[in-house]
Amino acid sequence: MRFMVIVKASKESEAGQMPSTELLTAMGKYNEELVKAGVMLAGEGLAPSSKGARVRFEGSKRTVIDGPFAETKELIAGYWVWKVASKQEAVDWLKRAPFNGGEEVELRQIFEMEDFGKEMTPELRAQEAKVMKSAEDNRKKK
Amino acid sequence: MRFMMLVIPKGYESAKAGTLPDPAMVEKMMKYNESLQKAGVLLALDGLHPPSMGARVSFSGGKPRITDGPFAEAKEVLGGYWMIQVKSKAEALEWASRAPMSDNEIIEVRQVQEFGDFPPETQKHVEGFQEMKNAPKK
Repeated sequence: MRFMVIVKASKESEAGQMPSTELLTAMGKYNEELVKAGVMLAGEGLAPSSKGARVRFEGSKRTVIDGPFAETKELIAGYWVWKVASKQEAVDWLKRAPFNGGEEVELRQIFEMEDFGKEMTPELRAQEAKVMKSAEDNRKKK
Repeated sequence: MRFMMLVIPKGYESAKAGTLPDPAMVEKMMKYNESLQKAGVLLALDGLHPPSMGARVSFSGGKPRITDGPFAEAKEVLGGYWMIQVKSKAEALEWASRAPMSDNEIIEVRQVQEFGDFPPETQKHVEGFQEMKNAPKK
């Protein structure tokens, strides 16, 4: 099963402040362990919300609200995607992460094709497979 | 440049464990996914199970503390994401506006940090990580 490991934003990340050399070094080692264990599938950091925007949907109306977004509590600063055997394994990996300043990280299981059961018709499955393959090819092109 | 389109579905913060998206919605999403794919902008996408099946780990003083979902205080939670490669924020917003979302739902568009965005001092530390990510997957 796969988990999205969501690192919440902090005042520092929202201010565009770079982590210390110490933390970067510890994070580098931790990422290396994740890769060696075959756990890490992806990982990215996001620019502060001041560079982003939100689109709110209402009928056919779309309202664009430019960042920053004041409620930093639920904002995302970055994420990993991990492949593990259980939620417990994901929790165990996360407990070893070199965070030390009151960070909060959320673990969320990712939907897999088999979670959808028979609602996911063979046609939809084929379509999904095509989309996923194409996305993978685009990532390699980068 | 790469952008994440973060989906914030209304009411998902209190969805029961095992909740699946409505089949009609799945079909609409698949059409939208296909339009992203045909335009060649799609890099990744995933949907997330409700927060009631997740957990949060906080690191106050470096000590991990685990709280199982649902998260009572959360007013907005993530339902899934797309990552796209486009030329501008405006193009990302255009794609976000076309998503088949329901009333009062939100898509947050956030730029993904690239190696070149980091100052040289930071790049030294991130370099190894870039190589790790490009390594062949198991």
